[in-house]
Amino acid sequence: MNTILVVAEHRRGEVRPVTLELITAAQQLKTAADDRVLLAIIGQEVELLASQLQWAGVDEIIACKTNSAEFEPELAEQAVSALIVSRKPIAVLLPHSVDSLGYATAVAVKGCYGYATDVFKLAYDGGALVATRGGYNQKVNVEVDFPGHACAVMTIRGGAFKPVEAAAAPLLTVDDRSELSGRSRPLEFIEQGGGGDIDITTVEFIMSIGRGIGEEANVEDFRELADNIDATLCCSRPIADAGWLPKSRQVGQSGKVVSACKLYVAMGISGSIQHMAGMKHVSTIVAVNTDPGASIFTIAKYGIVADIFEIQDELQAQLA
Amino acid sequence: MSPQRFLSKSESLVPMTAQALVAHVLESGDFYAAVAVHGIADARQRQRLEERLFGSRRDVLMLARWEHTPANVLDALSRLEHMPLAGRVVKHRNTEGSTLKHQFSQSDDPALTGLLALHANTPAPLLLQIAMGDHDQVVLKGLARNPSAQPEVLRLLAQRFPRRFDKEIASHAAVPADLLSTLYHRGDKFVRAAVLAHKQVPEALLLQAAKSTETLILRSLVKHPLLPAATVDALSQHKDNAIRAALATRVGLPLALSARLALDDSDSVRRAVACRADLSPALMQMLAEDRDPWVRQWLGRNPVVGKHVLQKLALDIHEDVRRAVARNPNCPITLLEKLASDHRSWVRAAVAYQPNVTSCLMASLARDSAVDVLSGVAANPHTAPALLKRLVFSDELDVRRGVILNPAAGPDVLLPLLQDPYYLHRVMLASSPKLSDQDKWQLRDDPDARVRFALFQWLAARALRPVADRYFYRRKA
Repeated sequence: MNTILVVAEHRRGEVRPVTLELITAAQQLKTAADDRVLLAIIGQEVELLASQLQWAGVDEIIACKTNSAEFEPELAEQAVSALIVSRKPIAVLLPHSVDSLGYATAVAVKGCYGYATDVFKLAYDGGALVATRGGYNQKVNVEVDFPGHACAVMTIRGGAFKPVEAAAAPLLTVDDRSELSGRSRPLEFIEQGGGGDIDITTVEFIMSIGRGIGEEANVEDFRELADNIDATLCCSRPIADAGWLPKSRQVGQSGKVVSACKLYVAMGISGSIQHMAGMKHVSTIVAVNTDPGASIFTIAKYGIVADIFEIQDELQAQLA
Repeated sequence: MSPQRFLSKSESLVPMTAQALVAHVLESGDFYAAVAVHGIADARQRQRLEERLFGSRRDVLMLARWEHTPANVLDALSRLEHMPLAGRVVKHRNTEGSTLKHQFSQSDDPALTGLLALHANTPAPLLLQIAMGDHDQVVLKGLARNPSAQPEVLRLLAQRFPRRFDKEIASHAAVPADLLSTLYHRGDKFVRAAVLAHKQVPEALLLQAAKSTETLILRSLVKHPLLPAATVDALSQHKDNAIRAALATRVGLPLALSARLALDDSDSVRRAVACRADLSPALMQMLAEDRDPWVRQWLGRNPVVGKHVLQKLALDIHEDVRRAVARNPNCPITLLEKLASDHRSWVRAAVAYQPNVTSCLMASLARDSAVDVLSGVAANPHTAPALLKRLVFSDELDVRRGVILNPAAGPDVLLPLLQDPYYLHRVMLASSPKLSDQDKWQLRDDPDARVRFALFQWLAARALRPVADRYFYRRKA
C-alpha cells in the first residue's frame, strides 16, 4: 500500500483552489485500490478549514494544529517533515507557490528526499515515479525520477491538473503540533498599496493594455469594455507609470505575476521580456497588435494583427 | 549632492570621440558595449568588434534574436557564412531595407519571402516584385497587410487575385479611392464595411450605402462625417444600439437629436452622449443623475462640463466617477483640494497626477502612504525639487521611477538614482538627456548588461552628433 501526502494551501480562512488540483494529481499516483491519499492542512484553526476539504479522492484529512494563525515556513517545514516520518508517503505534493517554495526545499534536503519543482505531469515508468517539469526557460520538458529515495517532494504547477469536483466525507484526524515554534514572529501584516484594489494574481480573465493605447482617454474605453465582459483590466509598465491604471494592475517583472489567469487578452502590448515574465505561463493568450513582428505573438495562442481600437469598437458594438 | 561633487568621484573621463569610445570598449571586452558601438567604429575597429561579437555560435544566434540588436549588427550578421540566420534577421524589426534586399537576393526560400512580405522595412520595389511574381496565398496576404505596401502593390494584388485579399486591401491605409470603389462593388458585406470605414472612401459610395439595410454596413457608415442629414436622422431611430451609440459620437449632431439620444434606453448610447463637446447645461444636469455609473464617469471626464456638475459628481458614490472628476483638465482647484482627501487612494492619485495643482497641494499629498499617490507626486512637474529629493530615497521603486519620469526633475535630483538597485531605473537614466555623459560614465561597469548597453548606445549616438551639441549640456550646467 502506497501513501501520497497532499499539503493544502490556505489564506485568510479560505482553502486555495490549487489544493483541489493537487488532489487530482495525487489520484493519478494511486496504483492499487488500497493506496491512500492523505490531505494535510497546517495552521491554527484547521478543524474549521477541514470542512472546505471534503472532496472525493481523499482518504483522510489530517488537521495539523499549530499555534500560528498565519503561514510560517518554519512551522510548515517541521509539520510536513514530521508527517513524512510518521506516515511514510512515497510522494508529497505541494502547490508550486511562494508559500511552498519557502519550505519545500528544506523538507527535501533535511530528509534526503527526492525533489522536483514546477511539476506538471506525473507518471510511473516501470514502477519508478517520473515527474515532468519545464526546463531551459520552458523551451524543453524534463522528465525526472528519484532513484534511491523512498519519498519525493514535488511542487505542482497551477492549472496543470483538473480540480477535483465531487464531494465526499473523508476521515478527519487531528494532529496537535502546537509545540512547534518558528524562528520568526509576524508582528504586523501591512497591506500593499492599491487602495483595496482587486488582487490580479487571483483573477482568471484579464484584459491588458500597453503603449498602443495612446492616451489616457482611451484607457477608459478599455476599462468600460473590460467591465462589460467581466474581465479585469491590467496593464504593462508604461501605463501604470503614467498613472492611468493603479500600480496594483501592472503585470510583469516590476509588477505582478498573474498566476491564476487562464485567459489573457493583450491589447497593444508589444511583449517585452519584462512584461512576459508576468503572464507567459497563461494557457490561453490572445494578442492584438498592429505589428505582426511584435514579440507577444511568439507566446500567443491566438494572434490578431489589427488596430486595438477597431477590435474594441467591434466588441462594444457586439455587446451593445 | 551636486553634479560637480559627483564628477570628482569619477575615475576616468568619458571618451569624447567615436574612435576613443570604441577603443575603450575593445579594451574592456564588454560584449554588450561592443554591440552598442558597432555602428560608430571604423573598418579596422569594426573587424575587431566582430571578432568579439561573432566569436561563438551561441552569441551569434542570441544577437540575431535580441530585440535591441541594431541594424548595422544585423546587417553584419546577415553576411556571415555557414550560419542559419536569414530567418532571424528578416524577422527582426530593426533590420533595414538594404539588408532585407540582400537576403532576398541570396535565397529563394518561400518562408523567407513570406517574412519579407510582412516586414515594414522591406523596400517598395521588393514588395512590388513579390506582388508580381509570388503565388503563395499566405505570402500575398501578408503583403496586402504590410503598412509599407504602396498603392501599386495593392492594385496589382486586387487585379491578380480578385476578391481573394479584398478585405485586407480595403483596410490598408494606402489604398486609392478608385480601388475602394471597385472593392465595394464586388465585395461582400464585410469588405463593404471595411471600405466605408476607410478615410479615403468616395462620397458617392456613402450615398449608395445609406440605402442599405445591413447593420454591419450602417455601423461603418454612421461614423463618416459626410453622411447626409436625412440619413443621420433616420439612423437615430435604428433598432441597433451600436448604430445609435456611434451616431451619438458624431460631431455637429443637432442639439435636439443629442437630447433625444440622452434619453435612450441603451446605456452605451447615453455613455456616448456624455462624451459630447456640445452638451447643454440642462443635458449635463440630467446625465449627472443617470443610473449608469459609466455615463456619470464619462461626463466627469468631459472637459466642457461646468463647475456645478463637477461638484455634484465629486460626491458620487462610485470612486471611478470621483476619479474622473479629479482627472478632468478643467477641474477647479478647490474641488481638487477636496478630492485630495478622498478615502480611496485611486481618487487621490488622480489629483496627484493633475498638471494644474499647486505645490502646496503636492506637499500635502506627499504625506500619503499609497504608492499610486506618491508615484503621482513624484512624476508631477509641480512638485518642489526639495520634495523630489526626498522621494528619490523612497522604498517604493514605483515612486523612485516617478521621479525619473518627472519632466522637471533636474540633474541634482536624479544623480543619486544612478545607484538605484533596480536595473530599469539605471537603464532609463543612461539614456536621459538631463544627466551629463560624465555623470553617466560610472555606469560603464554596471553589473547589468542592459544598463551598459543603454549607456554605450547613448554615448555612440552622442559621438555621431556635432561637437557643439555634445557639450551643450555641460555649458548649460
